[in-house]
Amino acid sequence: MENQSPRPEQRQTWSVRGMLSGTLYPFWALFNAVSEIIGLISVALGASRLLFNRKRFQIFCALFFRQLYNTGIKALYPNGAVAILIGALLMARLFQYLPVQVVENQFGYLFMVIVFRELGPLISGVILIARSATAVTSEIGYLRLRREFQVLNGLGISPVFLFLFPVFVSFPVSLLLMFIYFDIVVFLSAYFMIWLADPNAQFVLMLISILDQITMNEIAVNLLKALMGGVLIGVISIYFGAKVESSFGEVSAAISNSTTTQLLVFFVINVLLSLLAYTQ
Amino acid sequence: MLNVQQLTISFPDRTLFEQASFQAADGELVAIVSQVLDGGTSLMQALAGMLSGLEGQIILNGVDVLTMGPGERAQSIGYAYEEHGLISLYNVFQNIALPLEFHTNLDVRETETRIVSLLDELGVNHALLTAQPHELNDVQTRMVNLVRAQVMNPSHVLIDELEGGMPDDMIDSVMLALKERKAKTGQTIIMTTSDDHILREADRVLKIHDRQLLEQIE
Repeated sequence: MENQSPRPEQRQTWSVRGMLSGTLYPFWALFNAVSEIIGLISVALGASRLLFNRKRFQIFCALFFRQLYNTGIKALYPNGAVAILIGALLMARLFQYLPVQVVENQFGYLFMVIVFRELGPLISGVILIARSATAVTSEIGYLRLRREFQVLNGLGISPVFLFLFPVFVSFPVSLLLMFIYFDIVVFLSAYFMIWLADPNAQFVLMLISILDQITMNEIAVNLLKALMGGVLIGVISIYFGAKVESSFGEVSAAISNSTTTQLLVFFVINVLLSLLAYTQ
Repeated sequence: MLNVQQLTISFPDRTLFEQASFQAADGELVAIVSQVLDGGTSLMQALAGMLSGLEGQIILNGVDVLTMGPGERAQSIGYAYEEHGLISLYNVFQNIALPLEFHTNLDVRETETRIVSLLDELGVNHALLTAQPHELNDVQTRMVNLVRAQVMNPSHVLIDELEGGMPDDMIDSVMLALKERKAKTGQTIIMTTSDDHILREADRVLKIHDRQLLEQIE
């Protein structure tokens, strides 16, 4: 009987090893992913040396503006629509709890704390991820599937310069544009709601009350959110696209994994930066 | 002059070539008889410097292909793919112009002139220039790949299985155009093929046998 089954100590060793590897594997996978993403960032930075060539600089400009148009400019419609709704909802809620005069007096501060610091960056980032990052992941995935990077290498053309670098530069710029646009549209929408409640509300006074609240610190934090968020969203979208090897199913898996990771990373960046910058 | 010495191409599951050697003189048209899965495409990719982990040497005009920079390689070697090979995000014109944009200082007009004259030389319809890669059939894709392989005026052109799906009279006219171009520019052309028309036009024929490249004597 004893010979028919593994010895108890051996069984225990196997199960402990299995548990250990099962527990440690996610950390190991995370470590690998982070290292590879850092590697991609350094490769993208390395590709910037190609800009010293005039012709390649022109090619980069064309690619950059095309990406910026697709990512930053075309996103203004959904971004604007969401901003209108947020502005209206915000005011509707505030009017429910506070008198109109108090809302008007505190408008600059409330706008700064709720919209400029938190909602603007968060919602713009989510729109960037939903609209553009998914498109980049699927594009890179299909290019990998069709071995087109190999073709580019054969032509002596760096796929990093052609695909990674424009995304790496244009995503932060797009995100910053989206922050600014979002804030402007929320302000207009919120002012419209205030004007409905109090037709005597002065547009210029409301605007000044916001501008008074904007400090260099606020601008620096938003720039940092755009820079870090944009770079990481772009690089992560390419990282998962480049993981595609041989089947179409891998492309949809890449998009799903990429979107989840980007949302998580972007929320963590926003929360950390806000906590660091605004906690007294 | 292309000088391949002791070339070994191996993958984890098999070895395709083991210490194979051959030379191709300037202005020569060398055909390599290739059958399915005998390593013809891998050999061409190795010659183009697109494979890593090789053993041996591929010396082109005194320079090892594997140590060439991307620009130098693109100037020296043109590669025509057997299938696919086009970037799906760009139309045919942009695909052909890609190496020129990256490796030369030609302006748009000069690029257009060079591409149009190549299309005329090789008998390719100008209407294809605005087509997207997915709109092309296999033969059109091969012809566009061939035009792009020639667009940098390289000293060596590698053509992988030109003939697939191509009618005989078209193969003859393309071969004639390639030979005229070769005579004009002194270009070396290396082709993998199993087509008799191409083999007849070659200056020299090699065959793949037992992981070696052997001279085929008629």
